[in-house]
Amino acid sequence: MRRFLATVATLALMALFGFAVYSVLGTLKSNKHNSEKPTATQALIDLPGTVYVVQEGVIYRLNNLHFTPLKAPKFDWVQVEPGPNGDILAVAYAPMYSNVYLLSSSGQVIRQLLSESSSQYFQNHWAYYPRVSPNGSTLFYVSDWVDPNSAYNVDFQIQAVPFANPSARAVVWSEPYLHYQGGDVEPIPLANGGIIYTKYDINDQAGSPDEGATYGQLVYASSPGVTPVQLTTPAENCSEPALSPSGTEIAMICSSNISLQTSTLDIASWNGTTLGPLVEISDGPLASSPTWAPDGKSVLYLNTLLTDKSSPFQLWWVPHATAKKPGAPEQVTAQLNFTATSPPIWNS
Amino acid sequence: MLVAALLVLGFGLSGVSGVVAYFLPAISAALNITGHTTPGKGGHPLASPSTSPAPSSNQPFTVLLLGSDNDTKFQADDVLTQTMILVRINPETKAVVMFSIPRDLWVPIGDTGSLAKIDAAYADGGAAEAISTVENNFDVNVNYWVWIGLGGLVRVVNDLHDVNIVAQMPILDDEYPYDLNGSNPYDQARIAILPGPQRAAGVAALEYARSRHGDVLSDIARSQKQQQLLLDIKASANDVGLADVPNIANSLGDAVKTDMSITQVASLLPVAKAVGDGQVKQVVMVGSPYFSSPSYQIDGQDVLLPDWSAIHGLVSQYFPTS
Repeated sequence: MRRFLATVATLALMALFGFAVYSVLGTLKSNKHNSEKPTATQALIDLPGTVYVVQEGVIYRLNNLHFTPLKAPKFDWVQVEPGPNGDILAVAYAPMYSNVYLLSSSGQVIRQLLSESSSQYFQNHWAYYPRVSPNGSTLFYVSDWVDPNSAYNVDFQIQAVPFANPSARAVVWSEPYLHYQGGDVEPIPLANGGIIYTKYDINDQAGSPDEGATYGQLVYASSPGVTPVQLTTPAENCSEPALSPSGTEIAMICSSNISLQTSTLDIASWNGTTLGPLVEISDGPLASSPTWAPDGKSVLYLNTLLTDKSSPFQLWWVPHATAKKPGAPEQVTAQLNFTATSPPIWNS
Repeated sequence: MLVAALLVLGFGLSGVSGVVAYFLPAISAALNITGHTTPGKGGHPLASPSTSPAPSSNQPFTVLLLGSDNDTKFQADDVLTQTMILVRINPETKAVVMFSIPRDLWVPIGDTGSLAKIDAAYADGGAAEAISTVENNFDVNVNYWVWIGLGGLVRVVNDLHDVNIVAQMPILDDEYPYDLNGSNPYDQARIAILPGPQRAAGVAALEYARSRHGDVLSDIARSQKQQQLLLDIKASANDVGLADVPNIANSLGDAVKTDMSITQVASLLPVAKAVGDGQVKQVVMVGSPYFSSPSYQIDGQDVLLPDWSAIHGLVSQYFPTS
């Protein structure tokens, strides 16, 4: 009897060993690109003030190294922008359209600014990049425009409505080129009443070595509908402008070598009408969504790990960004997965 | 002594069983994916004998990558190929060339020579006819073929914990095919992909590589994005370990087919891992030299009429026939 029990126990142990081998193999899966929730980590650098970022549909506040989710409604939040008086403009994604809300710094909805709710999906619109003019009177954003002659041809255009009455008829600020390359995005309202934005186009010069290359170009428009002034060249392929608090510097993302699929963080001086030469302050590999510090001395942006272009996006910081010799980029977070198309908000 | 030996043998067998059980889905999927013959559709005679002879070890070789984005609408093997990419791999130098063939190219199909858009070759005669059409028209030798369906692509990207893409422009499409989620494969949806670097899960990555309406270059631009996504997937796959293989193989199981053997695929994996960003040459036929008319209609179809002298000049740079 004892021998029988010992045999059964040994066989059971063998089976357990086989199962253990199976289970251990399962734990060896690569988790290099798994990300944590921000609340499970803390920042590597204590940035002064408060930063707001988006990860996987949730808005987080970063303060004193720690992340806290905002108490916003459970929408799929995809973009945050600074609002007046420390409030937040936030874009909520829904399948086939998006809405814009004004949130308090804790996430409470103050009011809905732009609303799409038709049951006919093709009557709804996208709204992204909401930005308020420096005097607080106008809300700029991008919305889709469909060519009446071809439903295939859809581009973004920049529109503006009174911030106090956003349901008023929108003023169209930009006319996308009729090349159907995505149109116009990322408006930056200026104190002089004009805007800087990114215009997308394609090189359609037959026989040119760059024929067919798509590029972004920063442009300046002094008023709605005027032909914009080009600030960067097609070869520089720049986008995502961010104006410094003093209004004298612009940070942007440039990608002059499209085939390598890399992007750099650059800054240039801005005198209200023209841009100075570009100065690269981070060579990527996938720099995106720059934001200036409240004191205008440093720049926060999103980037992958320097040695792994396929890793999720983290917060990075360039100290002394406007100095003759800018500081080296420093990693602010690890193991997170921020939405790279949402520039962080950085309030004092 | 005997008892000890039996114990070691028992635990050894048990451990091996655990390993086999873990990798069984991968083995099963690998057998399912690889080693396909190159038949014509429905048992029709082959349009050409087969692919060109397999190259000897370390010799450069060419793979015809076929992709169908309407595999939920039609019978398997009765699908158009929205993607045709010739990939030349030099195992010794680790150099790779990706050459996209526009699906609207108006060419003689197979050995029959009847004119049609090149995307019809696979639907008409399976991989054999797709290969013979490409070989005859482009004057290249194809050694292997790989077919990929869209569902598998989505699952693989999810298994890799997403990929990073760089949208070179905003991508807006109000008539994007909504055939993976809904009950009607002919439904349409609106999509918007913001410009710039971003992380994309499976469905978003597919939307990026599949959308073509909101781009003046249409299918040509889509070819560029497809090549880019393949490189993005390769970059993420570099971090995959042996323990990840069963999951990924399971995802690919019913969505990938190739005539390469398991050993050939296995021997390619280290090569793929060793290829750096700068060693991949992406070639897309953009612009005026390659087509005698940028837009032309035949029988109500938008087609591209090839200028073969320009195309052969381009092809011969990257795909030497000798």
